[in-house]
Amino acid sequence: MSYEELSHTADVKIRARAPTCDALFGEAFLALMHVMYGDDRKGGTSRIIDINAPDRESLLLDFLSEVLFVSEVDGLVFCRADVHLDGMQIHAVLDGEPFDPARHAKGTEVKGISYSGMSMGKDAKGYMLDILFDV
Amino acid sequence: MPQGVTKAGPNEWEIPVGYVPGMRVPGRFFLSDTLEAILEPGAIQQLANVATLPGIIRYSLGMPDLHWGYGFPIGGVAAFSLDEGVISPGGVGFDINCGVRLFTTPLARRDIKKPRDLVESLYHAVPTGVGAKSSEKLTPAALTEIMNKGARFAVDAGFGLERDLVRCEESGAMKQADTRAVSEKARARGIPQSGTLGSGNHFLELQEVSEIYDETAAAAFGLEQGQICCMIHCGSRGLGHQVCTDHIKIIETAVKKYHIALPDRQLACVPAGSPEGTAYFGAMAAAANYAWANRQMILHAARKEFVRMFGIGYETMPLVYDVAHNVAKIEEHQVDGHRTRVMVHRKGATRSFGPGAPDIPHDLARIGQPVIIPGSMGTCSYVLKGTATAMERTFGSTCHGSGRIMSRSQAKKTLTGKEVADQLLARGIFVRAPNEAAIADEAPEVYKPSSEVVQVVHDAGLSTLVARLSPMGVIKG
Repeated sequence: MSYEELSHTADVKIRARAPTCDALFGEAFLALMHVMYGDDRKGGTSRIIDINAPDRESLLLDFLSEVLFVSEVDGLVFCRADVHLDGMQIHAVLDGEPFDPARHAKGTEVKGISYSGMSMGKDAKGYMLDILFDV
Repeated sequence: MPQGVTKAGPNEWEIPVGYVPGMRVPGRFFLSDTLEAILEPGAIQQLANVATLPGIIRYSLGMPDLHWGYGFPIGGVAAFSLDEGVISPGGVGFDINCGVRLFTTPLARRDIKKPRDLVESLYHAVPTGVGAKSSEKLTPAALTEIMNKGARFAVDAGFGLERDLVRCEESGAMKQADTRAVSEKARARGIPQSGTLGSGNHFLELQEVSEIYDETAAAAFGLEQGQICCMIHCGSRGLGHQVCTDHIKIIETAVKKYHIALPDRQLACVPAGSPEGTAYFGAMAAAANYAWANRQMILHAARKEFVRMFGIGYETMPLVYDVAHNVAKIEEHQVDGHRTRVMVHRKGATRSFGPGAPDIPHDLARIGQPVIIPGSMGTCSYVLKGTATAMERTFGSTCHGSGRIMSRSQAKKTLTGKEVADQLLARGIFVRAPNEAAIADEAPEVYKPSSEVVQVVHDAGLSTLVARLSPMGVIKG
């Protein structure tokens, strides 16, 4: 399981790999939190996200958009997500802590998740994802 | 330049119909030889993709700060027929009415004895960076009023002068705002963030007017050589981002209903007059109004710091102008010899209305609107004026900034924030940001040279140079 930042001039492009699709969604989530808040993130407060969508790309986009919303409005920075996919439904339990300017003001705001440049695939090594965050 | 793209004139290129399947019109973009060398092929592909959308008029246009975005390229302009054409949230972007305003002061460089203290006090006066919240929490009713009234709400609440309003595009509020189309989620994000700068490329910059190119226009705009001024660059914050997210979801679903074939899902669009299109336009206008109120509140906070530190009068700091560079608007343009109302999308492009055009302050009617082009951190910004050429050629549009050339990940590998800050300090420019990474991300090297971009629009006549502004201090979000 891993993710890396690819070169993209205007925005942040992430490539993630994982053995399962559930884990792939989890990697995209971790990449989003890393871009926004850096790596000093702890748990303690949980939030649950339940979403369904017509296809897998929309499901991922809607899930990450919901994470953006919850994080901003509840002022929470998440370190972990347990993601369970069931068809075109997602159930995710997020673990995080209140935003602390001293530790979390290390990243950049993500304005939105884009369909442009999003691709999901599977090969012998597992699942792979490219996704673009507008920053 | 990719095969198939042809030179159409000095600094002008054409993407022929057929470059991607389904193009209805050619693409046209403006680039100098220097800028051509650093253009990404992805941006050309995106410009061609826009040309496939129904009802597009004349060209899919690219300004010289054209670069690879999502959906529309950044620096993209497209006008659509109101009858047969579409509206697309991807043609505006997540940061609805991201824009720039500039105000002047009666001060000169010699009056600023302690520039670091001024930058520091401005930094503390304006909530900045990830997680920043406004000091005053709005009520839900006040938020609705902001979305309807825009900058007018802030001025009525004591955050500015009546004159500020006439110096804003649309007088600081689009009348088509429909707050019913703004979700509860968008409202929840908007309530704590009014008057905040945000992060990324948003900034507040202290500048000096370092060169005047057009004495008549500069005098009309209230700009003088050596004058200290202040530029504010930000948008509609989480509220606007959520409006875009919400309506892309609605429109993405509706695309099939209207039988629109798309080369990229982020270009999701619907007929401009459809229920979904009307709802997006109303919500987008509401978010645009939030952005104008936001910039007005930041202007007020900055002016108060100048009053406190220098004892100058609040009203001695007039607003030069406020421009929106991520927006869709219904405007009247000449199409096939007839005055026609069209839906103009500007994504990373600035309106550049020339002399005699509507919605220009009365006293500037013979000059053209002020066009404000921010530089990157540490490079010059420019004031230009709108032109008749832009009205004829680009639906009254010009560039919006300098455009990135280096990715954020590359920037962080190449430079540390401290190195960038030290280099700028050596040139007399103070930088203040919540963290060092934010400085490295936006180092001058990661952008196209702003001087080159404005020279192209000046030479093409899409807007012409009035004044150059040199940075003295930067507050980065």
